[in-house]
Amino acid sequence: MNNITLELRKQARKLLEDQVVQLVIGYGRGSDPFRVTPVFVRHPDFVDSLIWNPFCINNLAKYLIEYRYLPGKIAVVIKGCDSRAVNRLIQDNQIERDKIVLLGVPCTGILEAEKVAKTTGYQLELERCSEQEEKFTLHTSSGDFSFAAKDSLITKCYSCYNHNPVVFDIMLGPAAKENPAAVKYSEVESLEKLNVKEKSEYWDMYFSRCLRCYACRNVCTACTCQECIFNQAKPAWVDRINNLSNNTSFHLIRAFHVAGRCVDCGECDRVCPVNIPLRHLNQKILKDLQELYDAPIPGADLETGPALGCFVTEDPEEFM
Amino acid sequence: MQYKVLEKDKISGFLDYLASKHNLMAPVSEDESFSQFKRVYQASEINLNYTNTVIPPKNYFFPPAENLFSFSAENGGIEIKESRQAENMVIFGLRPCDINGMSMLDPVFNGNFPDSYYGPKRERTILIGLSCQEVMPTCFCKSFGTDPTDGSGADLMLTGLENCFLVEILTDKGAGLLENAGGFFSDESVDKAISEKKLLRDKLAGAFLREPDLSGVKEILDKNFEHPYWEELAAKCIGCGICTFVCPTCHCFNMIDTSRPDATGSRYRCHDSCMFPGFTKMAGGHNPRPTRVERVRNRFMHKLKYHLDRYNLDGCSGCGRCIAKCPVNIDISQIITHIREVVKDD
Repeated sequence: MNNITLELRKQARKLLEDQVVQLVIGYGRGSDPFRVTPVFVRHPDFVDSLIWNPFCINNLAKYLIEYRYLPGKIAVVIKGCDSRAVNRLIQDNQIERDKIVLLGVPCTGILEAEKVAKTTGYQLELERCSEQEEKFTLHTSSGDFSFAAKDSLITKCYSCYNHNPVVFDIMLGPAAKENPAAVKYSEVESLEKLNVKEKSEYWDMYFSRCLRCYACRNVCTACTCQECIFNQAKPAWVDRINNLSNNTSFHLIRAFHVAGRCVDCGECDRVCPVNIPLRHLNQKILKDLQELYDAPIPGADLETGPALGCFVTEDPEEFM
Repeated sequence: MQYKVLEKDKISGFLDYLASKHNLMAPVSEDESFSQFKRVYQASEINLNYTNTVIPPKNYFFPPAENLFSFSAENGGIEIKESRQAENMVIFGLRPCDINGMSMLDPVFNGNFPDSYYGPKRERTILIGLSCQEVMPTCFCKSFGTDPTDGSGADLMLTGLENCFLVEILTDKGAGLLENAGGFFSDESVDKAISEKKLLRDKLAGAFLREPDLSGVKEILDKNFEHPYWEELAAKCIGCGICTFVCPTCHCFNMIDTSRPDATGSRYRCHDSCMFPGFTKMAGGHNPRPTRVERVRNRFMHKLKYHLDRYNLDGCSGCGRCIAKCPVNIDISQIITHIREVVKDD
């Protein structure tokens, strides 16, 4: 058991026992050693189902939208990237700050489960994880395995903006070291260098395989519409018919819809079953917003409103 | 059953031959983590060592979007143009779970009320299976009484062995295909290949990490339509349709009419998902499955009970795609085990 897990259970137990919150949303053991699953704890007797380890990838802030009408307060476990989503939800009036208790995790990165499993196999129990000098050690029923952070993390963690939550109520461990020098947009920059035809081929290849399962939308904390335009039958703004043209419309409309509100948590990218690099699409918009409006990553703080949702006289007006 | 042997160095020649004579569909790895069955023109495009494709091969008989007919009302009357067409096709490289998945779909579209779009496509297709070489951590076909070398449901079954492929001729269609491609096959060392295949089968049977026990699960579900366990699952479900779109046996569709200002249009059917809130929404706004609880329950009831009730066939082939792709780790193999435990606890 690592210290964060112990502290998490202790705090969750206290919050539930003192009836400060009615529900704790956190991570629990998954069905494979390197997978986790969201768990919903309503009683102090069940806090031991909560865990923290470097595979806790889901952005649990999305569930705040689902459970916002639950009587009482909700506690939720958040990493740095997820915490930006919480700020955005508060700014969007999707949830009140008073309604939630944020259990912040100082996060040093999420390990890529498949990469780890290539070394360890799946036939073992993950007992605990420890971390020292940029190295993760997994203590398992088949012995210890060490992985260097520099080549075992998921892609988004190499360009992490916030290892520590930007908003929290209780921190579950000492603050992690931030990495302000992380390269943010290297992949987008190489895509920008392609000519129009090459860009079109790149995205056509990906969009043509889209299943329209809508996982990217459903997992997204910027997607909060009560009825999404892609669900509307009358008028059917974009046909359900799966083809390149409709799929392209879906992805571009969605990208523009979340422009200025996407917190770059990378969940859309993670969940896509057919590997569409959706984060590149959203990062391009983030990069433009930064260059054109000097806008921070949405959700970085509670005071800065969405770049496309406020009027500032200094804004460039190239198109007017 | 009749057996043949195909030497390893002849497989490319055989596949090139198939591609030159037939519309050949085969597994292609598009990038590191995306693979699908695709029209191929030469053997070199095919990945023979693939583990399950992301997109199941059901899409050849039940496409994600299928034009049913087009209509035109330009000259006063209405003219309907049917788009029904089924070309001869060979699908090569099907894993046993996917062949099984197709057998589970057949009674849905080709049962008492034959679907005139599905049936002809299925009829005109030759299925060539390919035994697995490894068991993925998410695989659990064994629980459904099959194994990764079982060719039942295919026309031909190939099993890659040390120096050759063992070829099992399972149907007349399969035999017909081989008759015209006789040059690639031989009868030599068939017995040796059969014993090698048995060894492979035993080796793979011992490699499953998931072996949920299905006995009695349907009976439990018969009695537990209302159970708090469904709420527990639904709490984490994000309501996307990944599980249904990557499933080789899910078969729900939506009908969509499109019309244009020039009085022409088309009717399509498109894959739909019982995970979507609008799936059962009726005219007038009533929705008999108003929350995720009813929707999640429906999917697992369908896989583990309704299909058995209707067709006396399992509704899941144990391919593990939904387990591998679920963003929140809802795992059908775990549900099979859990459902027994939660009922015991009641």
